[in-house]
Amino acid sequence: MGDPVVSVRGVEKRFGGFTALAGLDLDIRAGEIFALLGPNGAGKTTLISIVAGLLRASAGTVRVLGRDVVTDYRYTRRHLGLVPQEINFDPFFTVEEALRIQAGYFGVRLSEERLEEILGALDLAAKRHVNARALSGGMKRRLLIGKALVHAPEVLFLDEPTAGVDVELRQQLWRYVRTLQGRGTTIVLTTHYLEEAEELADRVGILDRGRLLLVEDKAEVLRRYARKTLRAALATPLAELPAPLRSLGARLEDGGRVLSLDAEPGESFGPALAALAAAGLAVQDVETQRMRLEDVFVTLLRGERP
Amino acid sequence: MIGLGLRTLLAKEVRRFLRVPGQTVLSPIITTTLYFVVFGYSLGSRLREVEGVPYARFIVPGLVTLGVVSNAFLNTASSMFVMKLQGTITDLLVSPLSYGEVLAGFVGAAVIRGLTVGLLMWAVAGVFTGFGVAHPLAAIGLLLLIAVGFSALGFITAVWATSFEQINFFPTFIITPLTFLGGVFYSARMLSPGLRRFTLLNPLFYLVDGVRHAVLGLSDAPPAAAVAIAAGLCAAALGVSYAMLRTGYKLRG
Repeated sequence: MGDPVVSVRGVEKRFGGFTALAGLDLDIRAGEIFALLGPNGAGKTTLISIVAGLLRASAGTVRVLGRDVVTDYRYTRRHLGLVPQEINFDPFFTVEEALRIQAGYFGVRLSEERLEEILGALDLAAKRHVNARALSGGMKRRLLIGKALVHAPEVLFLDEPTAGVDVELRQQLWRYVRTLQGRGTTIVLTTHYLEEAEELADRVGILDRGRLLLVEDKAEVLRRYARKTLRAALATPLAELPAPLRSLGARLEDGGRVLSLDAEPGESFGPALAALAAAGLAVQDVETQRMRLEDVFVTLLRGERP
Repeated sequence: MIGLGLRTLLAKEVRRFLRVPGQTVLSPIITTTLYFVVFGYSLGSRLREVEGVPYARFIVPGLVTLGVVSNAFLNTASSMFVMKLQGTITDLLVSPLSYGEVLAGFVGAAVIRGLTVGLLMWAVAGVFTGFGVAHPLAAIGLLLLIAVGFSALGFITAVWATSFEQINFFPTFIITPLTFLGGVFYSARMLSPGLRRFTLLNPLFYLVDGVRHAVLGLSDAPPAAAVAIAAGLCAAALGVSYAMLRTGYKLRG
């Protein structure tokens, strides 16, 4: 694995007496989609803002592509794109002007081809000459994404990119995020929608009250933390469970019509299925469910597991 | 060689005030023309001459100075403050523009607006009183320094301010009164010794007087004082603005 594209070391941020980030270490790897999760006020936006240069850390260092974001800000910002959480727009300019101005700030002259590509990818081509003031909320958000992409950044930060966005646009944005990743862009996103992280992320970090509770591969998180549940629909309702099944932890639900059993990650349902067969119970249907990232997230935040 | 980043910011800021020309360019010209018509042309015909110059002509440099000062100040103050309010300041803060480039972009556009308004005011007045300028280069140089100083002052105010009230405080309660009491409409020699001493404490008096010397060739104070005050204001206001950008004061959390 190469050097991290973003390296956060001992970063603290205090606002008066309030500690927003309490000494954070985090590496973002080249080409990955990293989802930063956490409840409101966990410090997600603060962390992203420090990397992008919108905020100064109270302590610690952040490096982007090996350079310090404070002392070498011109270099690091040239390689970063930020889609802020809050929608902003300049009512004096059209969509095209806004994109050209933002490119200019980065020292980039936007070619017609590149402009059309961005407008097309974000479904803004028809709004090219429309004043930003006249765009709908979803379109303003797309314009924000366009502005973050004009200089083809190597690392793109998306802070709640799909907040208040309809399902269709959300799907479209997810596809585009994957396209960008396919081209080698590293993506860091914060989101309230856990399904978004589950769908897109390679790795997740869970932040709570300024501390990282966990940073891991998404698949590993699910493998390690996501409990499984077996649900067997019985042909005849049972009044009482046979002893072998009870000793395995099975329980009856739905008036004795459903037998359910939890298993820890990595644990097999084999013994339970064997016990079912041995008891001579007729089973109509079997389904297994696995905790979703959302359930893991809630469990971790409650501190129920390490 | 000016980089594309600075050129973009400068062009954007100029386009911004040109998009609302009625408010940014025309309005100050109309206001000043009214001052000129009322105080200079109608009342001036009774006042006749001040220090050997027709009164209508005497007030032109002061009015031009007031136009340059308030427009340079308001351009940076309103643009920067609105960017803060609307959140578009983020676009600049995440960009690789250097602190000096950001400052130069804002100040440059404000200087262009201030000097454009000043020039147009001078042209309107010139129709009535003639276009003669005693020291053209000195006039341009001094007004340029004044425009830079007050646009940087507008920048500082906008970064510091948290409400429009605070933005308006400076031009309404400080700049306009000090300029009016700084001899726009009268010569300090016309005042009683007490009022004259009071006027000599007003820095705006020296700026108006300096511009009057450059345009009309007559002054109450040494013209060097105007240059020193304008240059001092530029150095101080640019210095503070740069420090604000560098430290991220009220801009970067």
